[in-house]
Formats: sequence, structure tokens, C-alpha cells
Amino acid sequence: MTDRRAVVTGMGIVSPVGIGSEATWDALVSGRSGIADITLFDASPFEIGVAGEVKGFDATAYMDAKDARRHDRNTHFAVAASGEALRDAGLLGENGTVNGDVDADRFGMVFGTGIGGIGIMLEGHKILLERGPRRVSPFMLPHMLPDSASGQVAIQYGLRGPNMAVVSACATGGHAIGEAMEAIVRGQADIMLGAGTEAPLVPLAFAGFGQMRALGTPKDPDSGEYDATMASRPFDATRDGFVVSEGSAVLVLEELSHALARGARPIVEVIGYGSSADAYDMAAPAERGEGNQRAMRAALARAGIGPEAVDYINAHGTSTPLNDRYETMAIRDVFGEHADRLAVSSTKSMTGHAMGAAGAIEAYVCAKVLSTGCIPPTINYRHPDPELTLDYVPNEARAAEVRVALSNSMGLGGHNSSVIMRRFEE
Amino acid sequence: MTRPPPPRDAARRAVVTGLGAVTPIGNDVATFWSNLVAGVSGVGPITQFDATGEEVRIAAEVKSFEPRDWIDFKQARRMSRFAQLAVAAARQAIDDSGLQIGDHNRDDIAVVVNTGGGGIGDVAIGQQTMLEQGGRRVSPFMVPMLSPSMGAAQISIQNGIRGPVITSVAACASGVQAFVEAQRLIEHGDVDVVIAGGTESAILPVAFAALGNMGALSKRNDEPEKASRPFDAGRDGFVFGEAAAVMVVEAADHAEGRGANILGEIAGGALTGDAFHISAPDPSGYGATLAMQRALRDAHLEMEAVDYIVAHGTSTPLNDATETKAIRAAFGTHADRLAVSSNKSMIGHTLGAAGAVSGLVAILAIRDGVIPPTINQETADPACDLDYVPNVARRATVNVAISNGFGFGGQNAVSVFARVDA
Repeated sequence: MTDRRAVVTGMGIVSPVGIGSEATWDALVSGRSGIADITLFDASPFEIGVAGEVKGFDATAYMDAKDARRHDRNTHFAVAASGEALRDAGLLGENGTVNGDVDADRFGMVFGTGIGGIGIMLEGHKILLERGPRRVSPFMLPHMLPDSASGQVAIQYGLRGPNMAVVSACATGGHAIGEAMEAIVRGQADIMLGAGTEAPLVPLAFAGFGQMRALGTPKDPDSGEYDATMASRPFDATRDGFVVSEGSAVLVLEELSHALARGARPIVEVIGYGSSADAYDMAAPAERGEGNQRAMRAALARAGIGPEAVDYINAHGTSTPLNDRYETMAIRDVFGEHADRLAVSSTKSMTGHAMGAAGAIEAYVCAKVLSTGCIPPTINYRHPDPELTLDYVPNEARAAEVRVALSNSMGLGGHNSSVIMRRFEE
Repeated sequence: MTRPPPPRDAARRAVVTGLGAVTPIGNDVATFWSNLVAGVSGVGPITQFDATGEEVRIAAEVKSFEPRDWIDFKQARRMSRFAQLAVAAARQAIDDSGLQIGDHNRDDIAVVVNTGGGGIGDVAIGQQTMLEQGGRRVSPFMVPMLSPSMGAAQISIQNGIRGPVITSVAACASGVQAFVEAQRLIEHGDVDVVIAGGTESAILPVAFAALGNMGALSKRNDEPEKASRPFDAGRDGFVFGEAAAVMVVEAADHAEGRGANILGEIAGGALTGDAFHISAPDPSGYGATLAMQRALRDAHLEMEAVDYIVAHGTSTPLNDATETKAIRAAFGTHADRLAVSSNKSMIGHTLGAAGAVSGLVAILAIRDGVIPPTINQETADPACDLDYVPNVARRATVNVAISNGFGFGGQNAVSVFARVDA
């Protein structure tokens, strides 16, 4: 149908384990947790008060102070990670916008988020309840929408091509990377940011997720002692919920000949994308990860490869009892005997679950695994669950020859996305 | 202008076979369309909350919507109103298309239903509960209700559709984007059928406070039905509305194979970003012009082929003048031979649903040979000098209609709809 190929030429990230790619990758391969007690608000009324916060982040280092004041934290992260990615790709000009020799009309983005500017919305609503409607900020609305981040990134860096914000709960990041790939392959654009951002650490989220009994307990399952870094225990037999976190990751996807013509260095190629729905339940995943299976199969078909070509899966691995069980079953059903030769790790054991940004953060991880040959571990893995018998790369990073990596993302409402990347070869 | 688009595969053309709508002037397509053609305004005093004493006290609300007509009672209670409206519109569209969904095709159907604010109402309720009664009183259903993706997800769950389920948000351009995405999914061969559209329901104090304080809303509280007056010199802002509109979009060979009634086709589309400002449009209209030009190029159509533009036409001073300028820049002298009208004059601005409603209007104008009017045209504005089909509907053959959607943050989306000759 087309010979257009989408390669990644730059990456940027802001995560609970580090600001910037260097700090983040160093923490992930060292097995360092980014989960700690909440400092962004007083979490004492809540049963569980731990999160994956981005630490020491100053928005004014990345944007004008006035803009920073008006924008939500999710937009701050998006702008910061986008700047790093553009610089990494050699696309950032001296005046802080995209290089003049790139056609900005053919440079767009799919910038996903789960909930957008929830912090700004709640602040506005609190003012409304306490002080009346006339005191609500006129800046609230355009800064709280789920597409505010994608709008501001376009404005700040001068990107005028196709621009959309996808929302599919926790599957968002995978959809954003996949849709960005498709936009390049179909010829809608030459360069696209595929990205996700999220800043959901507000009291209401802890009330809502707490009431759903969805959050992981911050204690050492052996000693019973309080330990925030132990709250996320994907695939471990004692896992009991996920940890909410925040951050943003941005991949610069570029049409291969466009990248080569300007002398850019392709890091990896995005070769497959699959998307499906469970059509099952608002909150629970379909049995045996049936929808996740169809997304993985569709991504393999789109990539034109068989299951045996895959070396590494970055799991959705949220640390909830049901997700990790069903995802393991889905991997077994799709990969058959090859499942036992795969490395499968969940970096949510360290970053927590950044909702709409998670899939983008994990696509970043896959690209780093392919380009460095190092697989970050699933930490806090001490008690094998007899039903979950894949190789989860427990506790220690591992050097490995990885040619093809797959990233899984699933969301509330039954959304599934899978993205496949390959080490770049001409 | 860069490369021309690849030639179209006739079998993979995206045709429209079913329509559904829940709007301020009718909770089904037939009622909506007859009122729109008759120039009936759906704007009135706000009833969903007490707006006494507020600066803005009018809205275009959906009236007498009964979720239980469409959805199991218990499930409806756990759905935000924006999702309820979406499920109802999708049910109508699927019935209208005659599409039977079963094990033979459920994996090959996608849902792309976009929104602006999603379940913002449930966020507001949850926060009030938490502030007044504590976190333990917050509903465990709040989180899965509020996600903007729940309109599309609930359509998938209620109808057993298991292909890609996608929600994209581009503020007020969201609805148009759904049709652009639907066409691509069909053309690319990902699926055979897409349930595509937009939904919005946010008639809430916090939304009115925010939009009102931006100066974006009309304050013509005493004459609600005259408040939305796109392109008229007396316009003073938009009227906030709620709605859902959904189309069944199919690959041409799939629709023909099952003998479906083909209403028209989505012939092309394009998205662009202004890269200008978080709420104001670029006054040059560059991004809007570029989106119209690219959409036509994508459709392999010359600009002279266009008969009718379903305008974004919000009734704000800036949008309507900028859109007029952008249309002139895109169409040159042909701009004076075009009909341009804004259905927002009657149903207000339904944000994430607006572009979806406009897509339905384009298809219905093609089907029936009738162009609905822009009502409340009383005083001409020299900055708005196109043919806006003032006040009275017009009979005209419409072969090609385009629908414009421009959003906060400078996101522009244009879809091209065309007649399909039997």
C-alpha cells in the first residue's frame, strides 16, 4: 500500500524516576523506585497516600513564567518532554521553535492524556463553590481541556500539522504512538510527536480510586512494615493494586527518507500497532485478556511478523490482581511456546501508573531497550504467583539481544493498544 | 502544497449509511432536521441548574431526554449524561443503517466518538461530595464515569463492538476529527464499519462560570432564541449547548454488499494546527484556510466543486470574521457562489459534538437538496460578507458540502462530504 516507514529520531521524558532521558533510564536500569509519600497535597485523610510524583520539577525552566502560571501541570510536563525530544532529534532551532528548514505544516502530533487539566478544573470548581462564579478564572477552560497540552506544545514549538489528543483511559499512550505512526505511513505528515502526558495527583483521584479499592498497599509484604516503594508489585503473588503517578513521554516519529535526508539518526522503527475493545465492562478487563490478545495479534499482523520474532514485552503490568493475571494469560495465548522465551517486565513497578502517559513512557522504555540492549527489571518481585509463570526479569536489569519489542496498554472501559518497535536496520 | 494524495480505491470509499442525533431541537434525526430547516431555535433559559442572578442564564439544552428509552436503567445510572446521549445517538444510527452486529463482524467495527469535556459533570459532583462529606462518600463509579473515552467505550459495550475504540479531543474541532479519522480507518482497510461522531453535555455552573468569565458567551438573556446570531453584526458570543450526533460510516463495497441505503460519502478531510494562541484563533485564518485546502486536495476535488459550507460559525465576534476571511482565502472568487450557514444559530455551540452535528447537516443537505438557514440575520456585518442563507432555508442541489470545526488551542479540522450517484 505504501513504502513509507516511521522511525523514531528523538525522545524526551519527565517521570517519577527522573527528569530527562538520562536520569530516567539510569534509574530504571538500576531498579530505583519513584514511589513515595505524597507531597503535592495533604494526603492524611486518605487510607493510601503514596504516588509516583515527578520530583523537583520547575515549569518555568521550560516555559514563560506567565504561561506556566496559567497552564496545568500536565501541560508543563508535555512542554518539557517535547523540548527534550525535539532537541534530541536535532529539530529545535536557536529561537526555541522548530528548525526553519523543516516544513512545520507537515509536522504534527498525537498527544494523548487520560484526563487533561483536572487540577485546573478542580481549582476552578472549588472557587465556584466557595466564592461564586464571578471569581472563576477566564483562563480555566482553555487550559483544562484534554487537548490543552497538544495545543500549547504546537504553539510553543511552532508545529502546524495534524494535531489531536486521544483519550482512552490507561491505553491512551499506546494509541497516541500508534496513531502517530499511522499518520506518517498514510502520508498525512512527515514528522509527528507520539506522546502522552498526565498529572492526576489530586485528592479527588485518591478518593475515587480508593473507593474502587484499586490502589496498592504501601507496605513490605514480608515484614508488614510501611514502605512506599513496595506499593507497586506487578506479577508478585502479594500484589494488591496500582500506584497512581504522573509524567510525560514524547517520541519524535519521522518518515524514514525524511529523517535520512536531513542526516538524523533513526533510533528504532515503529512497525506495528493494534487497537481493540473488550466490549465487556466499564472497569474489569475481559476474561483471559481476550481484548488485549486481539490488540497484540493485530499489531503483529500490521508489522508483518510472527510471534516468534518478538524478544521483549513491556507489560501493562499494573500490579492489580486481575490485570497481571489476564495479561499473562493473553501473552501465553498469543505467543504459545515462544512465551517462555520472551522477557516480560513491568516498569510500573518503579514509575507507578501514569494513566494516559503510561503507554508513551513504556514506548520510550521499549526504544531504549532496543537501542541499548539492556532490559529494566520488574522490581519488588519476591513471591512468584503459581499461575503467573513468565520471565518477568525479576529485580535486576539484564543485558540481552533485543531486536523486536512490544508495549501493551489497557484502559478502563475496555480499551486495548499494542505497539511494536524494531531495532533500526536499513 | 506538497505531494498529491494517492488515488482512491473505489471499494474502500467511506460511505454513510445511518444517522443518529440527540439535539436541543429534537431527540431524533427527523425532528432535528425538520426543525433546523424551519429555523427553530433550541435556546432557552437554563433548567439543569439554578442560574438565577448569573450573568449568563441561557443555554441550548436537550429537552425531555429519557435515558431508559435507550439504555438499561441500572447501566444508565452509571453513565455520565454525555455518554447517555452518545449511546442513544449511536443506537439510532445503527438502526437507521440496518447494520446487524454479531460474531461475524464485531471485531471489524470501530467506534470513534469524540468529546470536549467528557464527564466533567461527575468530576464536579465528586469534588463537591468530597469537600462536603469526605473522600469515603465519593462514588466508586466516578472514575470510570468521568473519562472522556466513555462515550465511545459505552457504545462499544452496549453494542458488542470489539474493533478499535478511539476518542480524540480537539476542543470544538473534536466532532469533525471523528469523521476524518473514520475515513482513514476505512480507506486504510483497518475495519469495514466505523461508528463515528461526537458528544457533549456540560450544562454545569462551573462551565458557565469559566466560559462566561472568558467573555465567550452571549449575555442576551432576555431574548434566548435571538442570542446565537453567527455572522450578524449584533453577535456577542456563543450559546453553550449539548448534543450527540453519530453516523455509521462503511467501506463502499461492504455497504453495497449488504444492500444498504447509501446517503453520501466522506470524500476527504484534513487537520491542521494554528500554533498561535490557547483560545483565540489566528486572525489571519491561515490554519483554517490550510485545513480547507488540504481537505479538498485529499478528496481529489477542485474548490469549484463545493456547493455548501457548514460553517463553524460560533457567533463570537472573532471566529465569524476570521472564518469568513479564511473561506475567502481558500476559495477566491468561488466564495461568492457558495452557500454558507451555521446551525449553531439554532442549536448553540455544542463543543465536542458540534462538528458531528455539522457532518449530519452536510449529509442531510446532500440527501434532501435543502440548505438550512442561519437564523437571526438582522444587521449585516461588513467583515462577514458571504451568503449565509439568512433566516430561511433554501432549495438547492448540493453535490459537495464541507464542514468546518475550529477549536481552542488552534486545532482546525475540515471534512468533505459528497453525493454518491446510485
